[in-house]
Amino acid sequence: MKILVPVKQVEILDEDFDVQDDGRSIDPDCIECELNEWDDYSWETALQLMEKHEGTVEAVPMTVGDESADDGLRKCLAKGGERAIRVWDDSVAGSDPIAIARLIAAAAKKENAQLVLAGTQSTDQAHGQTGIAVAALLGWPHVAVVSALDYSAGDGKLTVRRELEGGVEEEIEIALPAVLTIQLGINEPRYASLRGIKQAKTKTVDLLSPSDLGVPADQLGEHGSAARVRRMYIPERSKAELITGTPPEQVKRLIEIVNELKGA
Amino acid sequence: MMIDGNHNPQDVTRVLFESFPGWAVGVFYVVGFGAIAVFLYGCFVQYRKYARGQSLRKALPPLKDRLLQMVVSVGTHRTLRRRDRSAGYAHALIFFGFALLFMGTATITLEYDILGPLIGLKFWHGNFYLLFSLALDLAGLWLVAGLVYMMARRGWLKPPKLNYARPDRAADAPDANRSFYQFEDWAFLCLLIIIGITGFVLEGARLLWLQNTPTVWDYRWWSPVGAVVANALSLAGFTPEGAGSLRVSIWWFHAIISLTFIALIPYSKAKHIFTAMSSLALRDPLPVQKLPPVDMSAETVGASKITDFNWKQLLNFDACTKCGRCHEACPANASGAPLSPRDLILTLRELAENTLEGIRQPEPEKLIAQGNGVFQVPTETLWACRTCAACVEICPVGIEHVPVIVEMRRALVEQGDMDPLVQKALQNIQKRGNSFGETKKKRPAWTKKLDFEIKDARTEAVDVLWFVGDFASFDPRYQRVSMDFARILKAANIDFGILYEDESNSGNDVRRVGEEGLYQHLAESNIALLNDCDFKRIVTTDPHSFNTIKNEYPEFGGSYDVEHASAFIARLLDEERIPLKKGLDGRRVTFHDPCHLGRYNKGYDGPRDAIRKLGADLVEMKRCRDNSFCCGAGGGRIWTPDPVGKEKPSENRVREAATIEGLETIVVSCPKCMNMLEDARKTTNNEDNFEIREVVELVAECLDDSAISVVDQEHVAEPV
Repeated sequence: MKILVPVKQVEILDEDFDVQDDGRSIDPDCIECELNEWDDYSWETALQLMEKHEGTVEAVPMTVGDESADDGLRKCLAKGGERAIRVWDDSVAGSDPIAIARLIAAAAKKENAQLVLAGTQSTDQAHGQTGIAVAALLGWPHVAVVSALDYSAGDGKLTVRRELEGGVEEEIEIALPAVLTIQLGINEPRYASLRGIKQAKTKTVDLLSPSDLGVPADQLGEHGSAARVRRMYIPERSKAELITGTPPEQVKRLIEIVNELKGA
Repeated sequence: MMIDGNHNPQDVTRVLFESFPGWAVGVFYVVGFGAIAVFLYGCFVQYRKYARGQSLRKALPPLKDRLLQMVVSVGTHRTLRRRDRSAGYAHALIFFGFALLFMGTATITLEYDILGPLIGLKFWHGNFYLLFSLALDLAGLWLVAGLVYMMARRGWLKPPKLNYARPDRAADAPDANRSFYQFEDWAFLCLLIIIGITGFVLEGARLLWLQNTPTVWDYRWWSPVGAVVANALSLAGFTPEGAGSLRVSIWWFHAIISLTFIALIPYSKAKHIFTAMSSLALRDPLPVQKLPPVDMSAETVGASKITDFNWKQLLNFDACTKCGRCHEACPANASGAPLSPRDLILTLRELAENTLEGIRQPEPEKLIAQGNGVFQVPTETLWACRTCAACVEICPVGIEHVPVIVEMRRALVEQGDMDPLVQKALQNIQKRGNSFGETKKKRPAWTKKLDFEIKDARTEAVDVLWFVGDFASFDPRYQRVSMDFARILKAANIDFGILYEDESNSGNDVRRVGEEGLYQHLAESNIALLNDCDFKRIVTTDPHSFNTIKNEYPEFGGSYDVEHASAFIARLLDEERIPLKKGLDGRRVTFHDPCHLGRYNKGYDGPRDAIRKLGADLVEMKRCRDNSFCCGAGGGRIWTPDPVGKEKPSENRVREAATIEGLETIVVSCPKCMNMLEDARKTTNNEDNFEIREVVELVAECLDDSAISVVDQEHVAEPV
């Protein structure tokens, strides 16, 4: 069984940051990137399946992103696995989660994967769409927010659990091929040592373009996306004020505030 | 003269095989050679076991220095007397008694079996014999006396450290019970004391048997114990003939049991005679201060299998005599963690015994040292260590526990197996160069609260480069100390600077966690930065940074003159370069030695000198200097909370200090100790009783003649 694990480098903002002049993104100087927290868990899930079924299960991490996204793949490969896939060309920039999902779904077909393990969501955008969209595009069944997983070698199915509101748990049997989105806490992700990360540089990262995957450029980027970012901004902070003084003073101040808000 | 003129000195000697038929002498030699053969085979098996370990990666001092150091340690019994004087002296009696008796027997063999038959040289008679006889009688007496004390100690005194209950195993684990070691201990003592006592009975029986031979009887008081036994036998009704037949049976019994002992040496506790001395002769002067290097290009890193340890470590495992000094000193063990350095060493010894003593090595899975099975060390045990070096420091036979633990941690780090909080700290350090996860820009933020600017050592030449360190830069409580240190340096007109946002975590604790790749990266980037700066010496308030810069950076190309702030301040005070406006007026304080300053680098006196110079009344805690009790923060434990419901090492320490009557201040000299003891002061409800202050803070307090203490200024110096 081959498992494809789509991962993402997420943006971590500095305490002080600026919105770029285009008003639609953050100044890259105020951003550090790191692997999405959920993806640590989905990759760990894949690694554990691979270790448990040594020789019969193969896990491949993939990402959609430019060169800088290689760091995330290296971190995955430092923990295990032999090769990774990165998909990119300039046409991809500005894609929404559905467009990204087209690339992942195409990669899953190309790789002949039977299982896609995505993170439930990303820490920076938090759409929670990508994994589910992959399932839709492939026409595979899916389970979201998975908190436990069981697989027996050669079985055409998986048994997974998810937590529902009110402390109820649900156990689901799902036929392969399938897509799961993995919840935090499903396991304890291992640490990627610096030595491991350095050694992972010798492992292969296959760079594919959308055309290699047969995804036409008009289904990618801003123009190929159904959703696009119009504006990114820091909302004005609402103010709170403690009114002190004698009751008459407090009333006076209250009237002032009301008038200010009315714009009088 | 000692010999009566009527006697020929040649006749004054001891009979050996007198009255034995030839075949009996033959049987004795067969048994003797048999015992030696068993002994030698055992030695070979041990040698083969050690040879299955790795070669040493770290250079040791020249052999003659190490041998000298071993001879001094054994000769003076210095390491054995520490923190257990009576056991040390009793061991000295046994050791020197045994050694003399052994040399005595060897002398007889030399004359009777070698020099006599070969070149006809005979010397074992006359005055030499008489002195020899006296010396060996006394040696026998020492041996028996020492053994009697040791038996009393095990049987009646029962010090808790000799209890072999394991903190690292559940009560129902298959290898939880180590009482077989108790059996071995007793068998060892009993066997030796029986050899000693039968020796004296044999001597007494021989004397009585030969009471009509003047060359024997007239000189009997040269064997005082034997003479007393002879009289006792006589009183008990033995005739010379009766004594003669008693002699024959005791002779055989004594001979067989002695030869059995010799044969058993390599297979039993007795092997410590050799392994302990070898271990002492292999001592590394900086076992924890400078951890063993790692070949980063090797296929695996660290020790996960027993054969990943080097031969010296395998020998160390065999040197342990279970004296329990490390067990008693270990802060992890004291706070109920599943770690006892003694049990860890014994587990690895048992694994080596069970896998590496055969003709063939078993399959690799059986060699795995880390895990929850029999003869395996659990992960929790390895992570419980605070690398405080209390075990290494007190071990009388020179076992180096901490490098063993770090090697095993290195393997765990490679597998990615560690506490999530340690992972987080290491990832922060990987990404931002500090364990707090703060941006690099924030590292020098604390300096903005000063009313003067600190020089930028990256761009300007300075005399003193102050390596600030993570905790001193980011920990809100310790930032106040950093500010005070800056004020002191300024007041003393020191030309100093810092590395601002380019400084990275020094890596000391990262290395002790076992993340060698990250350590090397940190060391290399700090060294590259430092080598570009112009300074005369490095000073730091952080003993952890101090240790690694001083002892470990040279290996990576960074050799500097480094001084800890406490010593630097003590020197400045001594030279009267710090303008003090007042003293501490006999304030009652105690000093908590940080492991990395004290035990690691013998920096015991700097802080004490400074405290005394300020006029404080320094009262020592019982555990101080080399026996200081770790605050619990070392070895990466600062990044993981201790389990709830158990007394933390820091609480144990604060409670110890609290027993000092009228204590006003616990003085620390390390950012991590500060952090831990401040917490413990609160959790032990001592907040109103005393404060935790840095040596630096006490000095800064005396710079100013106003009466406000720094603690009162807390609102002034908000955390940055």
